[in-house]
Amino acid sequence: MLSRIFAVIRREYLERVRTKAFWISTLVVPFFLGAVMILPAYLAARGGGEFRVAVLDLSGRFFDPIRDEVDRLLSGDDEKLTVTLVRQNPGTDPRATRERLKNEVQNKNFEGVLVIPATMPDEGQPEYVAPNVAAFKLLNVLERSVNSVMVADRLTGAGLDPDQVRELTHRVGLKTLKLGKGGEETRDQGQSFMLAYVFMMIIYVTVLMYGIYVMRGVLEEKSSHVIEVIISTVKPFELMLGKILGIGAVGLTQFLIWAALMAAISAPGAAAAVGISGIELPAVPAQLLVFFVVYFVLGFLLYGTLYAGIGAAFDTEQEAQNFQGIVTMFLIVPLVLMMQILNQPDGTLSVVLSLIPFFTPMLMFLRMTLAPVPIWQVAASVVLMVGAILACTWIVAKIYRVGILMHGSKPKLKDLARWVKEA
Amino acid sequence: MDAILELQHLSKRYGDHVAVDDLSFAVPQASIFGLLGPNGAGKTTTIRMVMRIIASDSGTVLLNGEPVDDDRRRIIGYLPEERGLYKKMKVLEHLVYLGTIRGLRPGEAKKRASAWLERFELDEWATHKVEDLSKGMQQKLQLIGTILHRPPLLILDEPFSGLDPINTRQIKDLLLEMVAEGVTVVLSTHVLPQVDELCTSICLINRARPILYGSLDEIRADYGGNTWRVNSGIEVNDLGALPGVISVHPLRKDLLVELENGYEPRELLRRLLECGHVETFTRFVPDLENIFIRAVEEDHDHAE
Repeated sequence: MLSRIFAVIRREYLERVRTKAFWISTLVVPFFLGAVMILPAYLAARGGGEFRVAVLDLSGRFFDPIRDEVDRLLSGDDEKLTVTLVRQNPGTDPRATRERLKNEVQNKNFEGVLVIPATMPDEGQPEYVAPNVAAFKLLNVLERSVNSVMVADRLTGAGLDPDQVRELTHRVGLKTLKLGKGGEETRDQGQSFMLAYVFMMIIYVTVLMYGIYVMRGVLEEKSSHVIEVIISTVKPFELMLGKILGIGAVGLTQFLIWAALMAAISAPGAAAAVGISGIELPAVPAQLLVFFVVYFVLGFLLYGTLYAGIGAAFDTEQEAQNFQGIVTMFLIVPLVLMMQILNQPDGTLSVVLSLIPFFTPMLMFLRMTLAPVPIWQVAASVVLMVGAILACTWIVAKIYRVGILMHGSKPKLKDLARWVKEA
Repeated sequence: MDAILELQHLSKRYGDHVAVDDLSFAVPQASIFGLLGPNGAGKTTTIRMVMRIIASDSGTVLLNGEPVDDDRRRIIGYLPEERGLYKKMKVLEHLVYLGTIRGLRPGEAKKRASAWLERFELDEWATHKVEDLSKGMQQKLQLIGTILHRPPLLILDEPFSGLDPINTRQIKDLLLEMVAEGVTVVLSTHVLPQVDELCTSICLINRARPILYGSLDEIRADYGGNTWRVNSGIEVNDLGALPGVISVHPLRKDLLVELENGYEPRELLRRLLECGHVETFTRFVPDLENIFIRAVEEDHDHAE
């Protein structure tokens, strides 16, 4: 019996791994994934560097306080950002001076021009003119400096002591730290959300994709009539199991290739070689990878079995559409509920939802990436999923046995129920 | 026990529809057995029950005297009527797959498959995809898959449909060769000349029930009765007046003379010789098509 199931697994696996479609999806996905993961890191990193900014202070009294404020802000910063403010003489025609400075920016003498109107701080708005207005870090520093200088000026104008003003308007900011299981704190700037989101999407996409492969495989055997030859030697259940396991192995192979690619990119020197130096990839804890595989496998077994049943019950993909839609909906619900989990990973609703087997692969995994999940909940989710898989297999095996030999009329739900009862 | 396959009181219903009703027959070893019947008579259902693809409601299937089960059924090479192959698989790999699920080791399956491909002049297609092959070639491929594990019993459902005369000849020769080596073949078909040519015994099913069963020679003798094919100078009317003669019908240049049961044909021959010369005097053997149609019609009359 085992040798036959193994022969089926082997065929399902090799026939798919050899297709072009497999290799294209295996190589294209990491590319997009890389873009999604690297982009935020890349954007954050491009704040560094040396910038010369021309300041056209038409009021004539804000240049010095702004320069002091910029220096003060940058002195406490660990990133390598230097901003040099260069005072510009407005001359007789400030408009002409502004135009001249714009030219100098074009000629790369300055990163940009900061214009403080003469009416400040009472009226008007400072301007920053530059070809690149997406240099977040620089913009942030400039905006904060100008703001606090203007606020301080208004307050001293209202009669407050300058020292008092500095003390009162001192910004606190927010330092984000991620709390780990062992109580350790790590600096986190959105990577953990990104990671959670990306990994959950991979589970969703792969479970859906490989589930539908199972359905198509069963439909192909039916429509090509090869099924009768096969089940004259292999039991229908063995064939179904072999197909699901074989296709699941294809999925795991794909992950393995992705993991290898990731390891290659994260290797020291590799990033520099492809020209993306200075970017720190978010580190993926090994424990998370293990659960990623566990939940993919469980999710695929559950959904793959359901899709196998649908494939067996119908003759064409078109006929199968309605039922396929119902099953796919179970997969989409977690995506809709994601916000709830993100806001309150430990809330009662989150716990309950993540324990529902159809949602577990995505929601429990999402919770794990966001916050530590008690062991008992993880164990319960796995036990519940295994139970659900066994129950679905028991039902689907019956539908499968009857369905694979049925041709012609499109069965309704009550026909499927009858098959289960009679088989 | 010389029956390799024996069906005992096999029945199957689908709701109100009776597909197979109390069917029994035994297939003698090392012969070709014809399972005949009009469309929808229950042949395919019967075969599927033998193969355990569907479960019977009652009755038993014995293989070498023992009830068939999932392991024992593997001595059967089964070619279903609705053929199918994985279209995207390569020819040789497909055969190896069919061999391995029937218990062959991949290496052995590959060796045998290659030899068969060579015999059927398909070896240059070994690395092509199945879908690149013509229908006839796919059919041969399917047959190779059926016999690859050297089953002692073959059940072939319409094995010649879609084959040209040359390929048909090739397959017939192969079957006869295998029977000579001791293989038993159950042939389900409606092409009666092939049955005439190949089968030694048959079972004719009509409307779920067997209506004719036995060795072909006996069945022919039964249906022919005491009828003789005569060619002599005597006129129809003169012949009809002879003692023992029931009827006389012309059949091309000859006359078919039906005698009373038990009337000695030698007596008729003696009288004919007295009247003049006799060119032909042979027992009339009805062809299978006549028997088939007559049996089915009688069965229908019987039912009404």
